[in-house]
Order: sequence, then C-alpha cells, then structure tokens
Amino acid sequence: MAQASAPRQADFADRNFKYFLVGPSIFVLLIIGIFPLVYLLVVSFQGMTMTETDTGFVGLRNYAHLFHDKRLWEALLHTVIFTAIALPLELVLGLAMAQLFVDRLPGRAVFVALLVLPVVVSPIVSGSTWSLLFDNRFGPINQIIGWFAGREVPLLWTINPSLVYPAILAAEVWQWTPFMFLLLLAALANVDKSQLEAAAIDGASWWRTFFRIVLPAIWPVMAVAILIRGLDLFRLFDIVWALTKGGPGTMTETISIFTYVKGFQQFETSYTAAVALLIIVLLSVVVFAALKRVALAR
Amino acid sequence: MADLKITGLHKYYGSVHAVKGVDLEIPAGEFTVLVGQSGCGKSTLLRTIAGLEDADQGNIEIGGELMNHVLPRDRDIAMVFQNYALYPYMTVFENIAFGLRARKTPAAEIAPKVRRAAQMLAIEPLLERYPRQLSGGQLQRVAIGRAIVRNARLYLFDEPLSNLDAQLRDEMRGEIKRLHQELGKTMIYVTHDQIEAMTMADRIVLLRDGKIEQAGAPLDLYERPATRYVAGFLGSPAMNFVPTRLQDGGALAVQLADGGLLALPASRQGKLEGRRGQEITLGVRPEHITRASGELRQGLVRHTALIELVQPTGSRTYATFRLGGAEMVAELQAHDVSQPGETIELAIDMNRVVLIDPATELVVS
Amino acid sequence: MRLSLRLGAAVAITLFFLFPIYWLFMISFKTPDEIFSYPPKWYPSHLQLGNYAVLFKDGDAIAVWHSLVVAGGSTLIAMFLGTICAYSLARFKTGGEHLANWIISQRMVPPIAVVFPIFLLYVWLGWVDTYVGVILLYTAFNLPYVIWMMRGYILDIPLALEESALVDGCTRWQVIWRVVFPMCRAGLFATAIFTFVFAWNEFLFALVLTRTEVVTYTVQVTFYFGGQSNFWAKISAMSVLGTLPIFIVVAFMQRYLVRGISLGAVKG
Repeated sequence: MAQASAPRQADFADRNFKYFLVGPSIFVLLIIGIFPLVYLLVVSFQGMTMTETDTGFVGLRNYAHLFHDKRLWEALLHTVIFTAIALPLELVLGLAMAQLFVDRLPGRAVFVALLVLPVVVSPIVSGSTWSLLFDNRFGPINQIIGWFAGREVPLLWTINPSLVYPAILAAEVWQWTPFMFLLLLAALANVDKSQLEAAAIDGASWWRTFFRIVLPAIWPVMAVAILIRGLDLFRLFDIVWALTKGGPGTMTETISIFTYVKGFQQFETSYTAAVALLIIVLLSVVVFAALKRVALAR
Repeated sequence: MADLKITGLHKYYGSVHAVKGVDLEIPAGEFTVLVGQSGCGKSTLLRTIAGLEDADQGNIEIGGELMNHVLPRDRDIAMVFQNYALYPYMTVFENIAFGLRARKTPAAEIAPKVRRAAQMLAIEPLLERYPRQLSGGQLQRVAIGRAIVRNARLYLFDEPLSNLDAQLRDEMRGEIKRLHQELGKTMIYVTHDQIEAMTMADRIVLLRDGKIEQAGAPLDLYERPATRYVAGFLGSPAMNFVPTRLQDGGALAVQLADGGLLALPASRQGKLEGRRGQEITLGVRPEHITRASGELRQGLVRHTALIELVQPTGSRTYATFRLGGAEMVAELQAHDVSQPGETIELAIDMNRVVLIDPATELVVS
Repeated sequence: MRLSLRLGAAVAITLFFLFPIYWLFMISFKTPDEIFSYPPKWYPSHLQLGNYAVLFKDGDAIAVWHSLVVAGGSTLIAMFLGTICAYSLARFKTGGEHLANWIISQRMVPPIAVVFPIFLLYVWLGWVDTYVGVILLYTAFNLPYVIWMMRGYILDIPLALEESALVDGCTRWQVIWRVVFPMCRAGLFATAIFTFVFAWNEFLFALVLTRTEVVTYTVQVTFYFGGQSNFWAKISAMSVLGTLPIFIVVAFMQRYLVRGISLGAVKG
C-alpha cells in the first residue's frame, strides 16, 4: 500500500502525551495538597482569631501556645489511647475470625457477604446505632445486662466517664474488625499449602505452625492493614462525634475533634492553623518511621 | 512491500548499550531472519524498526522514507508477538479485525478481509470463538492472521514460535514460509533458534552483543562462516573445535596436542603460508567425520578413535571421541557404532574444515 | 476444630455483627411511641413506614439524593482522571519515584488539617454549600487511592497487548479505551465501589462545607441529635435511607468488593 504523502511525524501532542494524562490529576491534587499547606504555614504565623483579623506576623506565639495547651495534649493522649486499644483488638479478633473461616466452610461466601456490612456503613451511622444500643433506658445492652444482674441497670454509657471509652471502642471495633477479617482472610488463603502440609508431617504443633509459618507469610498484608487502620484511628472523628461529641466535657475529645472545635466553634484561625500543622508533622513522622520499619522488615 | 535500510543504529537502555552501530539493508520482498543468543539485541532492533522504541542514534528508512520520528501506527507495518497479544475479551473475528477498525476501515470491507486472512491460515471455523478456547497453535495463527489482514508493507515477527512445543514449531515453520511465498511481502523474523533461521530465511543476520557478526544467505553462513562464533552457532550438533598448530616445514598439515598430524589439502596452501608454525584452531562439523570405508578420497584423513558416548537419533548416531585430547562428535550411520568402548576407523574430510585464528577468532580459510 | 463447631461459631459471630444493623432497621419501623416504650421490645408490633413518610414529607429525604450526586460525581471524575494518570505512571513512569511518592503521601493527609483552609478558600470562591465544591474535594481525596490501585492493575496487563494495538493503528487514546479499560475492568469496578462508598459515608468535609443546599445524609442524621434527647425515629430512618443503597450496591458487587480489599493489601 503506497503512502500518498510523507508519513506523519510524531508531534508535540504525541511526545508529551504522558504529561497530559497526569496533568489534570496533579492539578486537582495541588489545590488540595499544596494550597492548604501553604495557607496553614502562613496563617499559623499570624494573629487571626474570631475577633481580631490581624494578619500581622506574630512570630512563634501560636506555636508556643501549642506546647502549653493542656487540652491539646490531652486530646492527643485520648487519640493514642483509642488507637492503642482498638488496633490490637481489631487485629486479633480479625485474625481469629479469619482463621475460623479460612478452612472449608459451607456457605462461607454468604457469611463473608454479611460480615462486609458493618464496614460499608457510615461511621456516623455506626456511632448513632451504638448510641441507640447504649441508650440507658431503651437500649438492648442495658436490658441484657439487666437480665444477668436481675435488676434494672440504667448505665449512662455516653455520659458516665468510666463508660464512654468502652462505648466508643465497642462501636469502633464492631465496625472495623470485619475489615481486618477480610484482609487477613485473603492473606491466610494465600499461605503456601505445601508448607503447612510439610509442617504437619514434621509433627509441628498448631501454635508452632502458626507463629513460624503462617504469621511471617501474612505479615506484609498485616503491616499494610495496621498502617491503614492506624492512620484512620489517628483521625478518629465521626464515631466519637456521634456518640459523645467529645464529651463528657473533653474526656473523649480526639485531636481531630479538638481541632474542629478550635477552628469552627471558637474560630481561633491562626492557632488552629498551627495545630493543623502540628498534626501533619506528627503524622508524617509516624508514617515515615513506620514505612522505614516495614521496608526494613522485608 | 517495501525495503528497509538501517544506518548506524545505536540503542541504549540506561547504561546498557544494546545495539552498537548496526548497518543493514534489506531488499523488498525478502525474508530476513535476525538470529542470535538472548541479549544480543535482535529484539531491540526489531522493536526499534517497529517504532516501539526510539533509536538513540542512526537512521531507519522504510521504503526510502525516514521513520525515526514516525509513530508505529503510521509506519504501515504489522507485527506478530511472542505471546500472541490477543485480546481475551474479543472473539477471534474481532481480534483479527481490530487493526482495520482502528483505522476506520468501512464496515463492509472488514468482514471479507477477515475471512480471507482466516482462510489462508485455516482458522475460519474458529472466528466466533474466544482466545481462551483455543490451543497454542491456533492462537499463533490468529495472531498471524491479525497481522496479514492489514496488507502492510513490512511484517515483523518477534520469536512467534518460542512458546510452541517442538512438533507444532516444525509445522508452523513451514506455514510461515509458505505464507511468505504467497504474499511476497518483506518480512523480518527474530528468533534464537538457528534451525528456524536456516530453514526459513532468504538471508540470515547473525547478531552478537549488539553488532552484526555476519549476514548472508543461510548456506553461505553455514559453509563459509566469517568467524568462530558464526561457525559454532549454526549447525546442530555444533561444529567441533580443536586447538592445533600449523606444521612449520614440510607438507601442509596441522599438529595435534598429542603429536598426531592431519594433512590439509594443497588447495589451502595459499591462505595458510604466512601462518606456518603458528597456533590455529581447527573446526570440523560432525557430518564431515564419517566412518572410513575402503580407499579414501582426496583430502580425507584416517583416524582411529575410541568411542566414549553413543547418542542415536534414529536416522543417525552421534558418537563422541577424542582427537588430540579434545572432545569431538562424529555423525555416523545409525548402526555404525552401538556401544561406548568400541573402536572405529573414522574419515575426516579436511576439504571442509575451517581454520580459525585463535587470537582474532576470524576464519582464515 | 470440628466443622460443626466452626460452623456454629461462624453463625454466632455473624449474628453478633449483624445485630446492631438489625436493631437500627428495626427501630426505623417502630412508631416513636413504641421506640420509647420500656422495657424495649426487640421487634416492632407491626411494620410501619411512618418515620420514612415524615422524612419525605419534610423534604429531608433529599439528603440521600445529594449524597448520590456528590458521591457519584466525584467517583466518576476520580476514576477517569485517576486511571489515566495511573496509566501514565505505570507505562511511562512519568515523574519517576518522586511523583508516585508524592501522590501516595496525599492519601495520608489528615482531613482535619486540610478542612480549615479549604473552607476558607471555598468561602472566598463562593463554593460553600455547592455541588461543585464538595465534588471537587471528594475527587481530590479519592484520587490518590484510585491512582495507587489502578496502577497496580494496569501493571498486570501484558505490555504486548498495547504494543500490538499501537502497531495495528491505534492512537494512544484508543489504546487506553479499547485495550486498557476492558482489560482491567474488574479492577475498575472494585476501585470504583470503594471510592463511592468512601465518598458516600464521608462526614467531616460534608459537615464543614454544606449548610442547607447540598446537605448529605451523614450530616442530615446529625441534625436530629438533640441536647437532651435524640429523635431516634428520624435518626434511624435517615440512617437506613442512607445505608440501604450501599447495601444494595455491595450485594450486587460482592465479589468485586472482597477481591478489591484483598488485592489492595497485596498490591500495597
């Protein structure tokens, strides 16, 4: 087939095609990624509050205030407590469930389909639902406790300082254990069967097999799961907001709730910016360290 | 169809110099095979011709037009890939028609073209099936069908038969050669299999380490290799090599390590005069070592050998023995030798040996 | 462990996890009087849709529609932009390690840190309480996930398929449409479902960026929280209205979802 004219040379659009593909995404991400950071950086050094719109440079005043703000550090503590309890719980329970389901089980697909449901519910709905369940007079939980105790037990789960943490943790663990479960189920299913069989022939006990063969094999998935869930727990907001709004007082205030209050209820613009930057820095450090550890472990 | 001309082609992958200055001219309508070991640059060269890679230096001309900055789709070429590259979510018909549709060929023309291509490759009954339902050989035919349906001016084949088992490969070799005869298009075929190269090529281009070692008609390369590498590459089983020394004075002959002498025919004298007394590598193909019977012709020398290994193939038997300490393989009739440990009288055809300078690896005679 | 024992445990565990959901649905069908009856009954005496009727009559149910527009819109945009970006990263390694790492790091950004400046920006742009504003934000937040996941899926597609298409006459765009998208269809579905669910259930940004016009169902639910008492009837009905669509989507796309979660971890 003869060419009627000279063959078409590759033009600007062809050569730079790959940039056109990433362009729009980067543009959108920049709006969300760069602009807020720049803004926070600038504003945190200013003196803006609800009353003062002073955009003058106030040096490190906001940052100094950070270190003395008891409420902020308590909020961080609360967040850490939530994470430190919920994450291992979800992990262990999820793993136990996965181990239960991984071997041949009739109707497993149905079970898995049903167990997905808590994960896809909104955390607000989850918090609201557990709020319902924990209701001191009309909730089934107090009712069930009452059956065992033989009398009425109108526990104020969302107000009693001793009970708020368990209440929030219950909602959180209920919602996210299935997430761990699904992840770990897939990971367990991919463990090399021949290794397990060899261990069985060698006479290894169940525990030994589990710790020496299974755990190392699923560790990569587990690490990712821990990272994702850990990050999400650090940002905990919705569930706590639905159950206690950070109360009673500021007892269950997470760092996210604290920041929200400071920014959108007390309108301390510049201070909030400083807090926000602190959060970003803290998170980056933690993630960086965690990724380093994971990379090393490989 | 079109001719292909490559001048001074260089291609780097990072710091690896994959193609080191290749000059190649392929006349229109020829079947050229690029052959060589893995990593010799043959696939890189093919992909650069296709436009899937950019040349770092040098020119590529197809049909006299410079192609360096032309996109693959505008080069009017067709390519068959090693792993078929068929779309699993399309029927065989759709796979073959894919290129035509992409070029906005009118719908009315597509069906007859596809059918004709399918007929040529005997896959018409498979047109409505999906790739997952086909065997390896059938998949390869579909891939070839997709290439020929577009009536391009240049066809590129990237090791298309590597994934097939030996029997299918034999079959497909003939099919592709017949296809070339029917279509008469310029075809460039990449393989590492020297049998494919020998049987299919109008011309072989043997590549080594990014450069052309030798190019020419198959029998030319086989009977008149330019270097030791070419001599050892073509032919199965490979050529035997034994280090020797040209006898200083007296008759023209090579001295073996154990002192034995093999006389060379006088016709070779001219090329070898200047090398008397020097070391030289002797190359002999197994088919030129046969059983001695009766009086030997001109140029054949006798050698008594102890057989170490016997490998029968049915039509021939390959026997391993030693010559001057070096291990050699002789190609004998099926029943000439039956057991290791037997002694046999061999005749080595010194008319056909090649002599190689051990330092430069070039064939001197 | 014996099969019957495991089966029993499996059933018990599943029932335990489903109980709260059951309770929520159940409450939504009770009349407000019944809800506040003591001791609480575990099933409604008769199923009535009065609570839902109220939501529709008051116009609150529109919140579900807002959620649909916002989640659907942002998912479509994020999937398209993200997938082509992922293609560029996968095939051309555009921007190298640096770009890829920066994109991943965007996923780790804590929303609470970003919501404030975004809010102020939106005030300035007049985008507060608009579809555009929320969709853009959700798109930006979902892009890193989409890019990350789709890059993995695209890397699994044999390169020869695309090269063959290029030689056969496809432009780069045609290659993406005709080869890449069909080949990673499963990955597209799984990622899209996740993205949609995330946007659908999102709360914090919706709380800050909506006022009255585009209130999504998650924010709408919190409107019913009182200082002293909560309107349980409305809370539960609204929650169900917002949760039911997701349950339906999940039911249909079940196999993609599970594959998506597990593959996401493996590829991570």
